[in-house]
Amino acid sequence: MRARDLTVFALHAVGRQRLRSSLLIVAVAIGITAVMSLTALGEGARRYVIDEFSSLGTNLLIVLPGRNETTGGAPPLLGETPRDLTLDDALALTRTRLVSRIAPVNVGSAAVSVGSRERDSLVLGTTHSFTDIRQLRLSTGRFLPDVDMRRATPVCVIGSNLRDELFGASTALGNWLRIADRRFRVIGVIETSGQSLTVDLDNVVIIPVASAQRLFNTNSLLRILVEVPQVATLDKAKHTIIRIIRDRHDGEDDITIIAQDALLSTFDKLFLVLTLGVGGIAAISLAVAGILIMNVTLVSVSQRKYEIGLLKALGASRNTIRTIFVVEAILITLAGILLGLVLGVAIVQTAAIGFPQFPLATPSWAALASIGTALATGTIFAFIPAGRAARMDPVQALGGH
Amino acid sequence: MIRLRSINRIFEVGEQTVHALDDVSLTINAGEYLSIMGPSGSGKSTLLNMLGLLDRPDSGQYKLDDIETSALNDDALAAIRRNKIGFIFQAFHLIARLSAAENVELPLMLAGQQSKLRRHRVLETLSALDLSDRANHQPAQLSGGQRQRVAIARAIAMRPQVLLADEPTGNLDRQSGNDVIDVLEALNRDGLTLLVVTHDPDIGGRAKRRIRMVDGRIESDTALVAKHARA
Repeated sequence: MRARDLTVFALHAVGRQRLRSSLLIVAVAIGITAVMSLTALGEGARRYVIDEFSSLGTNLLIVLPGRNETTGGAPPLLGETPRDLTLDDALALTRTRLVSRIAPVNVGSAAVSVGSRERDSLVLGTTHSFTDIRQLRLSTGRFLPDVDMRRATPVCVIGSNLRDELFGASTALGNWLRIADRRFRVIGVIETSGQSLTVDLDNVVIIPVASAQRLFNTNSLLRILVEVPQVATLDKAKHTIIRIIRDRHDGEDDITIIAQDALLSTFDKLFLVLTLGVGGIAAISLAVAGILIMNVTLVSVSQRKYEIGLLKALGASRNTIRTIFVVEAILITLAGILLGLVLGVAIVQTAAIGFPQFPLATPSWAALASIGTALATGTIFAFIPAGRAARMDPVQALGGH
Repeated sequence: MIRLRSINRIFEVGEQTVHALDDVSLTINAGEYLSIMGPSGSGKSTLLNMLGLLDRPDSGQYKLDDIETSALNDDALAAIRRNKIGFIFQAFHLIARLSAAENVELPLMLAGQQSKLRRHRVLETLSALDLSDRANHQPAQLSGGQRQRVAIARAIAMRPQVLLADEPTGNLDRQSGNDVIDVLEALNRDGLTLLVVTHDPDIGGRAKRRIRMVDGRIESDTALVAKHARA
C-alpha cells in the first residue's frame, strides 16, 4: 500500500471516530503542554537567578582573608590567625595586567545622623571602581572620586531609602551628614535598585575605604573585589593573586578566592536538574497518553474486526494491517503534539506577559524531547494492538466458525 | 485449476471435536459454475474459506493453478488472494465510511496500484455493474441489492480468476437476490470461475454443477454439462 493511500485511509478512520480521536488528541496535547509549561517555569527560575548573578559580573573574583579549608598537621600552638588583608595588599594586586580593576571593601555598622534624625546603617568603605564592578547607578550626583585609595576624604554616597529618611524633602546633595563622630558631605545618591543579592543598597552609606578604616579603627579589609579583563584568564588571574598575596604574607596561603562563575555554574546545574525533574514528571502524562492510545486502539481493533477480516480477504498482508493501525495512532499523536505545542506556547506567552520580570521560556530541548517522547510512546503502544489486528484469523474476523 | 486432495479440517468447539471437512477431494476447472449446498454446519462455508485461502487445512493438499498452497506463508497466501480470488459475503462487508467507488478501489489500493490507473479501473468496473451514478454514495445510502453489486464490483476489480460467493443473496429480497445472481452468472459467462455457497435450492439449482455436503463430506456432485472446461 502506498504511503499516501495509507495516510488517507487512516485519516478516514480517525475522522470517523471523532469523539474518541479528539479525546486522545487532547490527552497527548495535555502531556505536551505540561512539559512545555513546567520546563518553562524551571528554565525561567534558572534564567532569573543567572541574570541576577550575571549583573554582578562573571569576570569577578572575590578575595577573602583566611583559608576556608582545613589542612592536616600540628595545631597552631601560637594561636596562629590569618593575616589581615590590607590596603597595601589591594594596591599590590593592581600591578598585574591580569587584573583590570579592584575594589577593596570594608563594612561596618554605625549611627548615621542628620540633625536630630539618626539611624543605624550599614557603612561600606570602598573606592571609585566599585561602581563599575557592581554596576551601580546614581540618581543624582557622582560616585566616590577616583583618587589614591589611601586618601580619606570626607565624602559619601547614600542609598535612596536612607536619603529619604535622613533628609526628607530637603536636598541631600552637597549637605553634610554625620557617621559616628565624623562628618561627611553627600556627593551622590544611589538609584533605587530594589534588590541586590548581597547588600541592601537602598539603605547603605558608601565612603572611601580609607575613611572607613579610620572610622572603624582598623587596617584590615573585609574583602577585595577583583575584576579580570577576560573570563578566559580567570584561573590564571586567580593563581597570580594567590602568589602576590603569598609573597606579601611571608609565604603563607591565607586567602580564599571565590569565583563568580563557579557559583553561577553551580546554580546553573541545580536549576537544570530541577527543570529536568519537573519535565520528567510532566512526561509521565505522555506515557499515560500512550497507554490510552494502546487501549483505545485495542477497542478499535475489536470493533473493526470485520474490516480487518475483509482487508485480509482482499489480500492485505499482516504488515499492511499493522501499518494501518500504527499510522492511525501516529496521526492522532501528531495532531496531539500540534495542539499541545500551540497550547504550550500560548500558556507560556500569556504567563510571560503576566510576569514580565520573570524570563519564562520553554527550553528547546524540552519541547523536542516532549515531541520525541509523545511520538515514541504513541507508536510503541500502538504496535501491541496493531500486532493483534495483524495476527487475527480472517475467518474468525469475518464472523465464521 | 483447483485441485483438493483429502482435505481435513477439524475444529475444537468446547469439548467436542467437529470434523468440518472430512477427507474432501474436489477438482474444479477454469470457468466452471458450481453451487455448494447443504444444511448448516455441513462444512460448506469452511470449504469455501479453504478454497479462498482464508483457512488452512489440517491435512491434505490444495493446488491452485499448479501452486501447492499448503507450504506458503500468510503473506504469500494474501498475495494469491489479492490477485486471483474475489470474495462476496452475505453481509456485503462494505466499509461504511468509504464511498462506493472507494470501496471498489480498496483492493487496487492494497495492491499498490497508482491512483490514476485505479481511478480508470474503478469507473470501468462500476459502469459494468450499472453503478456509475452511485459511485459517490456511502453504503448507507444504497439499497441491499446495490450494496451487494458494489461488493461484486470490489471482488472483480482486480480481475480475479475465481469468484467465491458465501450466501450472496442471504440478506436480500428475492428480486434483488435474483438480480445479483444474474450479475454473477454474466461474469461466469465471461470466463470467471464461480462458486456459490447457498442453502436456497432455487439459487443452487441454477448452477451447472451442484455439490451437496453433509457432515463435512461431499455427498453428491452432479454436473448438468459434463465438461465445460477451457472454453
